[in-house]
Amino acid sequence: MLGAYITLTMMTALGVHYVISIIVSIFVVGVVSVLLERLVFFPLREAPPIQDKVAAIGILLFLEALAQLIWGPHYLQMSTPFNQVIAIGGLTITLQRIIIVITAVTVMILLWLFLKKTYMGASIMAMAQNRDGASLVGINTNKVAMITFFIAGGLAAIGASLTSPINLVFPGMGHLVILKAFVIIILGGMGSVPGAILGGYILGFTEAIGATYISNDYKDIIAFVLLVIILTFKPQGIFAREESK
Amino acid sequence: MLKLDNVTVKYGKYAAIRDVSLTVEKGEIVVLLGANGAGKTTTFRTISGLNQLAGGKIIFEDLEIHRKSPNKIVEMGIVHCAEDRKLFPQMSVQENLNLGGYVHRKNKQQIKNSMKEVYDLFPILYEKRDDPAGSLSGGQQQMLAIGRALMAKPKLMLLDEPSIGLAPLIVEQMFESIQQINKEGTTILLAEQNANAALSIANRGYVYENGKIVVQGSSQELFENEEVRKAYIGA
Ligand SMILES: Nc1ncnc2c1ncn2[C@@H]1O[C@H](COP(=O)(O)OP(=O)(O)O)[C@@H](O)[C@H]1O
Ligand SMILES: [Mg+2]
Repeated sequence: MLGAYITLTMMTALGVHYVISIIVSIFVVGVVSVLLERLVFFPLREAPPIQDKVAAIGILLFLEALAQLIWGPHYLQMSTPFNQVIAIGGLTITLQRIIIVITAVTVMILLWLFLKKTYMGASIMAMAQNRDGASLVGINTNKVAMITFFIAGGLAAIGASLTSPINLVFPGMGHLVILKAFVIIILGGMGSVPGAILGGYILGFTEAIGATYISNDYKDIIAFVLLVIILTFKPQGIFAREESK
Repeated sequence: MLKLDNVTVKYGKYAAIRDVSLTVEKGEIVVLLGANGAGKTTTFRTISGLNQLAGGKIIFEDLEIHRKSPNKIVEMGIVHCAEDRKLFPQMSVQENLNLGGYVHRKNKQQIKNSMKEVYDLFPILYEKRDDPAGSLSGGQQQMLAIGRALMAKPKLMLLDEPSIGLAPLIVEQMFESIQQINKEGTTILLAEQNANAALSIANRGYVYENGKIVVQGSSQELFENEEVRKAYIGA
């Protein structure tokens, strides 16, 4: 949401090119995330995990209110230089949508390689699995936490800026995304990139099939129906691994 | 090599250890004996920088380390092998070991050699190298915790109750491995409730009671000490 507003403001107020605006937005949202980590999540690191989540919801509400104050409650439109329509074998699709797909896949692969193949990625995973353990092998957990938040913020800015031209920009634009991400995590398991991809596909296909055979109007409800069904019958998630705690 | 000088550590208002002074010399195995809750783990967590001290000093190789962050302390050569092991449960054995060598990550060859040494010391870890750490048995997890600590090539290893929850036969092997590690040049500070086994490999020891050191001496002296025998050896 913040990422979309920053990209939009750069474009409309300063007349900066879309792509450059996105890059600036990645950086700004990344830095904002790091500040939030220092100010909010770092002091909560010894607290029970539920407090992090409550804090996150608090930040969400705060940022939305802030966006409404600065940019107003209206729906804003973001233009894109990539609105050419391309026809591939009878299918027509805008260039923007192709860019979204390509960027999403590229970012996903890069993220996965980063987490799997680099020491920095491994230290992020290590810290998520055992923070003290990470300290004891010599990982600077403060630095890693900040880098993690920077990456998370930057990725959110990319996602929001890319999808804004095909949706709209408004303070509550993130709600549906967050809820769907929640469904995907429950489907695919927390902290697993392949699981997230699989979960995303399951949700995407279910929505598409629902839109075709039931009604397009009910498309977004499907995520929530899935959520309710899964949490009722398998509250630990579908592909959740057995945890030895 | 390591010196604690009147160290006091508090959890809130409660002092878990009070005025603890001890030394460890290069090449030694020193054991901290004491019942549950006596303050052994708190001592270790404070040396490795996970806990802050409320008073006193910790000196390692002539440098004060008690205000340094845990990662700096690892870089200086002290590695803490925790009582609850603190492994990365969803990562494989190999990935855990790799991260154990985090402070030497620029030196790929050294990491490879260290890993081979760990696998030589604990061959079972090699067999299980692709299994997630969380799926190992208690004894194997302890081996992995020690192996991960060795990957950092510590000068001083803090080993917190390595025998906890292990079958007697495995405990014996564990202490043999610890002795082996010490022979190869790593100084060891060990915390144990299993006084018999610990004193049989240690040079010296300290006995904790309610956060204070009450007796100290060579292994032989502690072994013959009437009170120590009564409290921890049961003879
Ligand atoms: N995180 C903590 N918060 C409060 N008190 C603690 C904490 N950890 C340990 N203690 C207390 O400190 C004392 C020493 O504990 P500990 O160092 O774990 O002893 P040991 O390792 O010898 O069993 C105990 O009384 C214990 O209850
Ligand atoms: Mg203990």
